[in-house]
Amino acid sequence: MGSQEPEIVIAVDGVTKSFNLSGRTGSLKARILERLTGRHKKRTFKALDDVSFTVKRGETLGIIGANGAGKSTLLALLTGTLFPTRGTIYTEGQISSLLELGAGFHPDLTGRENIYLYGAIMGVSRAHMDSRFEAIVDFAGLRDFIDQPVKHYSSGMYVRLGFAVAVEVNPDILLIDEVLAVGDSSFQRKCLEKMRAFRREKKTMLIISHDLQTIQGISDRIVLLDKGKLLGSGSPAEMIGQYEGLVRQTESSVIKREWGTGEIRLEEVVLLDKHGSASDVFHAEEGLHVQIDYRAVQRIEEPVFGYAISDAEGHLLHGSNTQLAGLEIPAVSGRGKLSLSVGPLPLASGNYLLSCSVHSADHRHNYHRLDHAFPFGVLSSGKAAGPVDIPVKWDYAAGG
Amino acid sequence: MLDTLKTISERRELLGILIIRNLKIRYKGSMLGFFWSLLSPALLIMIYGVFAAILRFNEGRPHYLLFLVTGIIIWQFLNMCLNDSLHVVLGNANLVKKTAFPRLILPLSMVLANLINFLLTLLVLILFLFVMRMPLPGLGMVPVVVIWQMLLCLGLAGILSSANVYMRDTEHILGVGSLAWFFLSPVFYPIELQMEFLPDHLGWLPFLNPMTGILYIYRLLLMGGEMPDILVIPGWWLLVSVGVSLVVFAVGYAVFQKSQRAFGDVL
Repeated sequence: MGSQEPEIVIAVDGVTKSFNLSGRTGSLKARILERLTGRHKKRTFKALDDVSFTVKRGETLGIIGANGAGKSTLLALLTGTLFPTRGTIYTEGQISSLLELGAGFHPDLTGRENIYLYGAIMGVSRAHMDSRFEAIVDFAGLRDFIDQPVKHYSSGMYVRLGFAVAVEVNPDILLIDEVLAVGDSSFQRKCLEKMRAFRREKKTMLIISHDLQTIQGISDRIVLLDKGKLLGSGSPAEMIGQYEGLVRQTESSVIKREWGTGEIRLEEVVLLDKHGSASDVFHAEEGLHVQIDYRAVQRIEEPVFGYAISDAEGHLLHGSNTQLAGLEIPAVSGRGKLSLSVGPLPLASGNYLLSCSVHSADHRHNYHRLDHAFPFGVLSSGKAAGPVDIPVKWDYAAGG
Repeated sequence: MLDTLKTISERRELLGILIIRNLKIRYKGSMLGFFWSLLSPALLIMIYGVFAAILRFNEGRPHYLLFLVTGIIIWQFLNMCLNDSLHVVLGNANLVKKTAFPRLILPLSMVLANLINFLLTLLVLILFLFVMRMPLPGLGMVPVVVIWQMLLCLGLAGILSSANVYMRDTEHILGVGSLAWFFLSPVFYPIELQMEFLPDHLGWLPFLNPMTGILYIYRLLLMGGEMPDILVIPGWWLLVSVGVSLVVFAVGYAVFQKSQRAFGDVL
């Protein structure tokens, strides 16, 4: 075979992992009672549901998804600490995993002893660990503490030693679970640098992170998990876009609220981009268009249509209505349409919620309100902190 | 089984580190350190010695104290393994949950660490018996019996360590069970006392308890004719003890290997 196609080093095929919820730390009494009363039904939770994908040698695969999506379960299966309920997992080469930094360290042993313990767990020879020892200590920056028991270490020191040792055992495949969230920024930079070096050596990496920017920067490809199912696999930008859409939907469904007396109903509200096609992501400078279809079941005098934009938590950022804007609607009955242009949006990149309403001119009757019902994303070039993007210009005069 | 031996030999560095870790941590923070492995049987011997004197086990039995010392030291090896078994997987939950390695190494390293302890106390015991002018007729055979007892300990460690992961009741059962086992075994009383209760054709019955055979053969090898117990039993009675030990070992191995795949789910 003269093929230059890189070989597959990880193959996950139809993997399902269920956890037994009842009797996890079951006592004998509970078990006997269950048997006697015949209430021996197993309540199981599917952490992963029929997941399949492959990873090629030298590839860096990002794994994203909300909490509880099954990311950590997947890495544990690849590490070999859990076994699949159904399906098969194939891996090739030495796997080093950082399921938790410093996992496997014994608090009573010194840093030095723990380094050799970890090496031995990984099946790395003592001679190799001897040769990497100095590098590990240097990378972790723990020269003065290496003969102290690790229980006296700060969490930062723990993490540094964990990362250093997992990388220096020189594995073929490195699995990293949410490691970059800990440690100070200079250590994070060192970790990222190490991971890039790892990539250059054509080693395989699987990374879980909630830091989407970092994971987008370092991954060749991303798989998206949601509630144990593989939603997709593709380019980092594409998958992160899909994930952010998912987040918007779940976030808004929590605080979404529909209420009103129903004389007028907002039948359909559609968000449109500048080309007039439905979307849920808008460039700040282009703004967005809202199209509202309503139906009045009876004749209503002087209705007022309103809208509001709030942040992802539902805090009001801006709102207006037809009355404030000076648009007089004498009366409505039956079906009708309204459209609204908002923008350019002085908003920072992020997720926002749109609310729509129709009420009486004196605000005493709320016919129909859709609070926080329409999530949308904004892409902005603004780099300031906070949700509002205000143009700033700095001037600096040296000396003065 | 052959695969397992191969795996163990491949992972001998890990095994070695875990054995040393077990030994280090046992006496960490205690001022007397290793001396506890001599001191605790010594204290136990004192307690049972007084107790036996009150019950008059020693009367008419020459060398009763040496008999008791031997029994306690041998029992301690088993008892340490039983107690440590409870924590061999649970106490290493962090390792088991987060890293992959052959799980069998955990009970194995625990039993081997206790074995090292036992061998050191056994050495002291043999010196003591030598000084006390015991004949030590079968010293060369002692290693064989040590291996026999170790296989029994390994089997029990396999059963108890995995059982305690799934049922925390194991700890309570063991507390009572090991005490009952101690009194059912001829540790501080001679086997002949058990024989008094049994008709001749059922004399093999106590040997269903493998510790009966183990204690008997150790004493025969170390004390020979000086032992305050019956000297001659049919050889096949000992084979009953050996057989039961091997069954326990096989069951322990199978139970542990079968259940270890789900450790990660439960811990």
